[in-house]
Amino acid sequence: MSSASRERILARIGSALKTPSAPLSFEPKAIFPPIGNLAERFQAECKGNYTECVFVDVHESTAKLKQVLASVGSGSVFAEDAPRIRELLRDFNGPLQWSSEGRPLESSVATISRVEALIAATGSLLVTSSCGGRGASIVAPVHIVIANANQLVPDIESALDLANERKLSEKNSYVGVITGCSRTADIEKLLVIGAHGPKRLAVIVENS
Amino acid sequence: MNPAAEFLRQSTAKSADLEHRRIIRWNMDNYDAAVLRGKSRFLDWDAARERCAAIKQDAIDHLDQYLVEFESRIVERGGKIFWAENAEEARQYIAKLATDRGVKRVVKSKSMVTEEIHLTPALEKLGCEVVETDLGEYIVQLRNEPPYHIVTPAMHLTRGQIADLFREKLEGVTSDDPVELVAAARRKLRLAFFAAEMGISGANFLVADAGMVAISTNEGNGRLCTTLPKIHVVVTGIEKVVPHLRDLGTLWPVLATAGTGQPVTTYSTLIGGARREGEVDGPEEFHVVLLDNGRSELLADVEQRDALRCIRCGACLNACPVYRQIGGHTYATTYQGPIGSVLTPHFRGHEFDHLSYASSLCGSCTSVCPVKIDLHHHLLENRHASVKADKRPWSERFAFRFWRWMMSSHSRFERLGRLGRFKIRVARKLGIDLLSPWTKYRSAPELPKQSFREMWRKGNV
Repeated sequence: MSSASRERILARIGSALKTPSAPLSFEPKAIFPPIGNLAERFQAECKGNYTECVFVDVHESTAKLKQVLASVGSGSVFAEDAPRIRELLRDFNGPLQWSSEGRPLESSVATISRVEALIAATGSLLVTSSCGGRGASIVAPVHIVIANANQLVPDIESALDLANERKLSEKNSYVGVITGCSRTADIEKLLVIGAHGPKRLAVIVENS
Repeated sequence: MNPAAEFLRQSTAKSADLEHRRIIRWNMDNYDAAVLRGKSRFLDWDAARERCAAIKQDAIDHLDQYLVEFESRIVERGGKIFWAENAEEARQYIAKLATDRGVKRVVKSKSMVTEEIHLTPALEKLGCEVVETDLGEYIVQLRNEPPYHIVTPAMHLTRGQIADLFREKLEGVTSDDPVELVAAARRKLRLAFFAAEMGISGANFLVADAGMVAISTNEGNGRLCTTLPKIHVVVTGIEKVVPHLRDLGTLWPVLATAGTGQPVTTYSTLIGGARREGEVDGPEEFHVVLLDNGRSELLADVEQRDALRCIRCGACLNACPVYRQIGGHTYATTYQGPIGSVLTPHFRGHEFDHLSYASSLCGSCTSVCPVKIDLHHHLLENRHASVKADKRPWSERFAFRFWRWMMSSHSRFERLGRLGRFKIRVARKLGIDLLSPWTKYRSAPELPKQSFREMWRKGNV
């Protein structure tokens, strides 16, 4: 780990910092407006960032998932190998690949995975490698998320606090905050949904 | 031609190019509207800027400590850290890695640092195929151009120009519809992602306490680059480190809002290493190249070190009345606009001093900077440094010396003023415009018959 360049760079930094910077005045102030009802805010934000979001009762989620899957076209579906997702897919009889069988195929038409948390302030998902792997949220044109209302947290900062508490960065090589579908505005600043990742993000939130 | 003369030539041409100005205005108007909406989501945007400035200043004030903390976390998990003093060392490390692993195909997600070190040509020389995967970067790569803007690389092109380019280089493009253009690029680049052995990305932040690299991407290309190939190489500057994971709770939304007006970038990604035992996917190897290349020297300049707080959002470019007229390519630097004009003389020497003069010091850049870098003050400081280093042309030095001499005496000022006005009038009658360097681009007001002093003395004021 120690190389001559490393030592020289660190020595230069050390000697540069011998002269301290002018102090920066900073008082902590509220930055974002307070968030009221988490579920309502999450739904409103999802609408704004092109995420399809439904809150369903536990017994309705199988039907809801089936309905979403019926609309994605034929082809292989990749799913996180988790007990709840296995339960919901019990009657699914299309081609199905579980995360325990390897990374999603390039040709996957949809991926199904869970999240670590739902972020109300921005309508975002906190995910990790444990949610079906890195590819589960990016490879297919449709990403379907199975979540629970008790996973809602107010904002990104609280999601990152949760990540610290659960040591997510130690346990996973990937942690991500996903907000909406893949998008680009590189052509004349015009928004196009569905660049390299999913064109459709559907979140099924089960009421706890 | 020297960079200063070339800059003058290009900026003269660009500022007179009305089509160019139309395209930039269109883009900037869209950007301004989006940022206005984005800022309205904050209770206190200035408080957010102050917080971000404080986080980044803390990072810079303890740069060695946080870098070592970041390094030890990455190394603990089996990642490799390579410290590069300059561009050459960074290129060599990555080129050697590519050669040793038999890499033939490389996919890249957006990284200005790889532009700074000219990585792509070095890999191509080894026979690697290198594909830019950010749509804007891909477009400028197909055109064999450098990025026009640090956030929106193809801002200078219309959809018509992009459609023409794609029709020539890609398949299945029949219209100018951006949706169709994006789909064509997606089809082509997907093959590249799945075939590549090496993915190269930049970093927006290096999180010290979590030991993770933060990469923001809207398109998802950054995710695919870091998921599919068996080797992931991060190339980044040492100043990108931030102390704590929770700092991103403010930095992420502020970066997105200042960069594009979004509440937060679609994929705000953290990567701590290669695929772990038991994980579904991810690369087998993970390397982080930490580049100095002049940054530690800038740190030693206590007056200007706050420039290292920069998070490369592009807000100062968009706000700059000079950038808006002359465009990104005219700068002929990796980093354009006000931040580029501040940084480039530090990184590449006095040859780029002229950039600090291409400013009215209006302060727009400083007023929008989300980490509160005192940009326009630094442009002035750079001019000072240029004068102190004796880099100004003799004519300029002579003119200022003469001006100082003239201004330091009432009577000299009056007499020389009268003489000057007389000469200008006489020359005009002979058809010579002594003010031509000025009036070439501007209309001059009529010369008054009497000076203010004369009017005052006659009681006419």
